[in-house]
Amino acid sequence: MKIVWNECWLEALRVFRNRYFIFWSLIMPIVFYVFYTNVMVQDVEDSKLWEKHLLMSMAAFSVMGSSIMTLGLRLVQERNQGWTTYLKTTPVSGAVYFIAKMVGQTAVHVFTIIVIFVSGGMVNGISMTTIEWITAGMWILFGAIPFLALGGLIGTMKKSDTASGVSNLLYLALAVMGGMWMPMEFMPKLLQQAAQWIPSYHYGAGAWSIIRGEAPGLVGILVLIAYTVVFMILSIQRRRMQEAI
Amino acid sequence: MSTIIECMGVGKSFSGKSAVGDLSFQIEKGEVVALLGPNGAGKSTTIQMLLGLLEPSTGRIIISGQNPKSKAVRERIGVMLQEVRVLDTVTVKEILQLVRGYYPRPLSMEQLTKLTGLDETSLNMRTEKLSGGQKQRVSFALALAGNPDMLFLDEPTTGMDATARKIFWKSIRELAERGTTIVFTTHYLEEVEYAATRVLMVNHGELIEDGSPEMLKKKLVMQRVSFLTDEVYRPETFQGLGASDIRVDGKKVTILTGDADHLLKVLYALDLEISEVTVSRGTLKEAYSQLTDSQEAS
Repeated sequence: MKIVWNECWLEALRVFRNRYFIFWSLIMPIVFYVFYTNVMVQDVEDSKLWEKHLLMSMAAFSVMGSSIMTLGLRLVQERNQGWTTYLKTTPVSGAVYFIAKMVGQTAVHVFTIIVIFVSGGMVNGISMTTIEWITAGMWILFGAIPFLALGGLIGTMKKSDTASGVSNLLYLALAVMGGMWMPMEFMPKLLQQAAQWIPSYHYGAGAWSIIRGEAPGLVGILVLIAYTVVFMILSIQRRRMQEAI
Repeated sequence: MSTIIECMGVGKSFSGKSAVGDLSFQIEKGEVVALLGPNGAGKSTTIQMLLGLLEPSTGRIIISGQNPKSKAVRERIGVMLQEVRVLDTVTVKEILQLVRGYYPRPLSMEQLTKLTGLDETSLNMRTEKLSGGQKQRVSFALALAGNPDMLFLDEPTTGMDATARKIFWKSIRELAERGTTIVFTTHYLEEVEYAATRVLMVNHGELIEDGSPEMLKKKLVMQRVSFLTDEVYRPETFQGLGASDIRVDGKKVTILTGDADHLLKVLYALDLEISEVTVSRGTLKEAYSQLTDSQEAS
């Protein structure tokens, strides 16, 4: 247990020391948020609701990004640099290593969500009940599980260049198509229909429901679970194939 | 002494191509064993099988009565592998503390820094900022972190400068005196002569020699007799000398032989015009390249 704790702690420290993480997952979403709510103000009916909506989008965007990018790339790098091989010669099991990475990452997400909520909330003076803040935060935290699984799948890639390219592409595509940068209603009909099948849309939609005082839809939850299962099966399969050699 | 590592008829092939043939040997507790052989001889494959990182295609490996993959074995071994970059964005101290935590009876930080020569400055440095030699020291410290009974070192001194190498081998000797069993591979023969109590020579995935460095040297190292002569070299002149190789470079003739005393007697009996006769003993390095060359030819 102590090993898992130490490992998680160090893993979280490593994420915070990563400048790319600080820039892409903390600074970027906040800058975006301030820009879209104060500089490029959209013509919307209920501006207070829009500010809340976009704050959820940005927090989800950030957490989804670090789930896909940080975890996946770390796994690929550590395998290519031989660190994973070294760990196999120590008494620590692969499961502990993997769990620690996930938990460490989740701890980082807790911090990210708090920072984005607090700074965004203060900039625009957003008022929500404590329950709303907490449930929205929880949703963003645990709704990221399919993206952590996707990160794990990217982590089975051979080259870190490929992994980095693929994860960047997926990240941006998921953000745009999930309506995290622009409300779904402004998008073409075709994309709106496609979004029903995209995990990032349901991830965002859950948080958008919560701030409107509704519960996240059951369909959305099922879609997210289905994606998690598929990503996990795929990465387990790929890992087996690689180890068979 | 008791057997701690047992390798029984171990072979490994990669997609039908054999990398290690049929290796059988036993290592006793406290031995310092050098695995020696040219590139591609199967040294690293052998080490990886001993560590349970590769599954042998044939045969069996037992480490202190257990499967190399078992947790009990992992708790007692320390490992330095080639091409392992230490985890980045952490300080040396942080990673050492973490890895020490993996083991039931770790070495103290003081002992670790003493044995590896890591100073306070490098302990507080980030691993990615270390020089090649410092990185090797950190890898060595990681190998020692669990206070291992057995050390497996695959080309441990690559990238170290002369001073670092000296400290390293001094510590290895110290550990050997404490009874640590050590298996290492290296390209530097002086390291084998300095540290090893036993040499396992492998080539083409097979064990070709097994003995102490001194024994091997005696067995393998040729004596070299050289002299100057004005006579035109004719191969038949030197027949019956027991020479294994003759090289002629202008006036200078060099003869390699297993028995220089006999050769000199015959040489003087021939009554040739020769001068500046010298006799010298070859190095293990020469013997080693001869051996691997002759293996190559056969």
